[in-house]
Amino acid sequence: MQASGERRAGWGHRTLMVVLLVYLFLPLLATFIYAFAKDWQATILPERWTLEWFGEMFTDVRFMDALWKSLYLCLISVALSLVVMLPAVFIITVYLPGLESFMKGVVVLPYAVPGVVAAVGLIRAYSSGPINISGTAFILIGAYFVIILPYMYQGIRNSLLTVSAVELLGAAEMLGASRMKAFITVILPNIWPGVMTSTLLSFSVLFGEFVLTNMLVGGHIQTIQVYLMRRMNESGHLASAIAISYFLFILVLSMVLMQLGKKVNKGMSK
Amino acid sequence: MKRKNRWFWLGLLPFVAMVALFQLVPIVSMVTGSVSSGSGLTFEYYIRVFQSEYYLKAIKNSLLISIFSSVIGVVAGLVFAYSITRFSPKMRDRLIMLSNMTSNFAGVPLAFAYIILLGSNGVFTLLFRQWGWDVFAGFDLYSWSGLVLVYVYFQVPLALLLLYPSFYGIREQWKEAASLLGAGTWQFWRTIGIPVLLPAVFGTLGILFANSMGAYATAYALVGSNFNLLAVRIGNLVSGDVVSEPQLGNVLAVILALSTLLAVYLNHKMIQRAQRFQPGSADRKASVRRKNFKLKTSRLKEEL
Amino acid sequence: MKPYLRLEGIRKQFGANTVLNQVNLEIREGELVTLLGPSGCGKSTLLRCIAGLTEMDGGHIWLDNQSIAELPPRSREIGMVFQSYALFPNLTVSENIEYGMRMRKASKEARRQRSTELLELIDLVDKRDAYPQQLSGGQQQRVALARSLAVRPKVLLLDEPLSALDAKIRKNLRSEIREIQKKFNMTTIFVTHDQEEALTLSDRVCLMNQGNIVQQGAPEELYSAPRTEFVARFMGSYNVLSRAEALRLFGTVKGEAESFAIRPEALALLDQEREGTGLESGKQIVQGTVHSASILGNVIRYAVDTAGLRLTVDQLNDGRSLRMEENHPVKLVLDATQLLHLEKEGA
Repeated sequence: MQASGERRAGWGHRTLMVVLLVYLFLPLLATFIYAFAKDWQATILPERWTLEWFGEMFTDVRFMDALWKSLYLCLISVALSLVVMLPAVFIITVYLPGLESFMKGVVVLPYAVPGVVAAVGLIRAYSSGPINISGTAFILIGAYFVIILPYMYQGIRNSLLTVSAVELLGAAEMLGASRMKAFITVILPNIWPGVMTSTLLSFSVLFGEFVLTNMLVGGHIQTIQVYLMRRMNESGHLASAIAISYFLFILVLSMVLMQLGKKVNKGMSK
Repeated sequence: MKRKNRWFWLGLLPFVAMVALFQLVPIVSMVTGSVSSGSGLTFEYYIRVFQSEYYLKAIKNSLLISIFSSVIGVVAGLVFAYSITRFSPKMRDRLIMLSNMTSNFAGVPLAFAYIILLGSNGVFTLLFRQWGWDVFAGFDLYSWSGLVLVYVYFQVPLALLLLYPSFYGIREQWKEAASLLGAGTWQFWRTIGIPVLLPAVFGTLGILFANSMGAYATAYALVGSNFNLLAVRIGNLVSGDVVSEPQLGNVLAVILALSTLLAVYLNHKMIQRAQRFQPGSADRKASVRRKNFKLKTSRLKEEL
Repeated sequence: MKPYLRLEGIRKQFGANTVLNQVNLEIREGELVTLLGPSGCGKSTLLRCIAGLTEMDGGHIWLDNQSIAELPPRSREIGMVFQSYALFPNLTVSENIEYGMRMRKASKEARRQRSTELLELIDLVDKRDAYPQQLSGGQQQRVALARSLAVRPKVLLLDEPLSALDAKIRKNLRSEIREIQKKFNMTTIFVTHDQEEALTLSDRVCLMNQGNIVQQGAPEELYSAPRTEFVARFMGSYNVLSRAEALRLFGTVKGEAESFAIRPEALALLDQEREGTGLESGKQIVQGTVHSASILGNVIRYAVDTAGLRLTVDQLNDGRSLRMEENHPVKLVLDATQLLHLEKEGA
């Protein structure tokens, strides 16, 4: 009990960590500097700095358009997922636990099947025949739904288990609440922080999605990632500004996520 | 009972529909697409792929780059993960957080960052040339070694995150018991530590392998279709940069899916084995926490 | 007799917190000594210092006429059993038991022979090839015991080996450990926070508090003659009285002591309605009321209110004595000779 916690890492370990951090942050740093550099060649740091790339970014109509499209596509997908997954996971976890192993299989598939493969299947299934939705937002939202399936399922299920939903529900019903009422007044408020966490996580995953977006609707709908790809070859500095803004956005999102996570954990240990 | 059932179905129906439409149907469609010609069942396209030097090369390249980057990733991950366990808990959390943070930097932006650093007009490329460091003159970001470098970048944080908890599976008291029984540090690691870590190592290897086999965005952004990789080939065949036979795309996609499924299955098996080593008494809170952790780690996939 | 293991002035601090404060202890060969105390009293740390797993800030340790304080754990010839068993999960039961011999490069035959011997001893021969996680907690702890005995250590240290097990298994394993210890004449230090365990198991009990051994002696001695209030409270459900309270109860008390203790079984109850039949000399009767009663197997434990005090009184549950109701008036028989005089804490 007293043995650990007092040790300090030696020089070897510290050096190793510095190496790791430099390695991991160097590309980020480079992008960051590049976004603020007037030009940058053959010197360790650029000689002249500028904000003009960020200015250009915000006045670029196509960028704002792509940003807007990314935002609403992600929001719609996450909202749809929430509406569909909440009752389904609740029913399965609480009333049909026999289905859980089957669900695990369903949920692990998006992990095991890479985006390119999923895109191939989706294109073949929906570019002709009765449901012809290729190149539209519908197919993309469907694909997004599948991408975030694991996060949403795990998040909701863990929250339900953490708050002991079955016992809570039983208690509420014993006190005279109807099942629906019990779900809304007792379960939902309790699982909300956990569910929010996985929702935000899903959002950030979708925001960074490129493969499926590019392959399914790349020609028709430009999200921020697709736009970034297009602009990369034209103006490196502008692309850097976009990449850094994107990264900062995701960073803020994950900070919020972490705070939420802490809250959930605290609630759990109470 | 009847009423209950109706509620169940109403709640489950949208979910079942979405999964069927966007997950099962596409997979089935892809598999049938790979074995059907206009009239009926055929393995013609599989035969063509396996007789084509071009596609075999793509498969080989993908396998090699995945194996290389996963092995390097796991080795680096092991070293760094062990190192992290030597720090105080507060520092540990911070280091893990930083490593996680960079994992958001993947796909297109990552490829772009490497172009800035090491591309043909990259900062380091020009600096090295100016300083006359010829050792690096042969390095080409848009080649095999460049791809491995970038792949390793997104593998390391993932490996770190997956391996780091298993070092905590090695309990301090095992070391103490071993030392009282006469084992030195190295003997402990050889007889206890490494064998206990091994399932986690192989499991992580599986995840990293699947991750890099499926990686598309990074490669696409970095080398476009100039480098012959399985994922890039599939993308081209389907999105129609080259108008060609979509069936070939289906076949390649099935092959890719099989390889990643196999790797993920390996991971699954290894997790089961690793659980054997975990002493019981894992109360539910701990297991929930572990699951939350898993949820976070899963974020780290390079792309989905 | 010359001590086999001698600890002298063991000191350990964690930061500003003194965990061991100049501890001295001598143990004879073949003796089983328990270190007893509440959590945080330093008993586990003392054990770890002996094993060499925790570095001491000062003091000396001699084992079998040899100073071992400077030796690394693996050269000390000390065996240790942990509360959490600490079996190696990737090795089978027999491989676990043979681990120490393997590290000492013993031959395969010798290892096999020794592990079989020990497996017979702990009655787990049929589990030879099982993995630790396939065993119950009690079985795992027996394997851990066998593992530490396999290399024939000079001293065996047991760090709360039974506290992760449930009550029944704990009792069985307790006597098993004692038997094995006696059979090998193994010098043993047993750490526990359970006073009953300490009393039933040991040749000698050392009660520790805040980094000091506050009292040591044979179990019966520690139980019947606690020297301080801490010992009295820790060893049993003694009624501890201040001087004023003792005066209120007994009228007069001898000596200068500031606090006193009296064992619950040294008090007796008489039914109020029944007439007392002549008292022995030195005994006296006071009036009281039963506050509550609970049956602890062969003993009924009463809480009796008298003279503004609540006393714990144990009566033999022999079927003849009636269980008295709450609020029942009773006569309490006091025996002044049973009143123990306690020393000041830390004196």
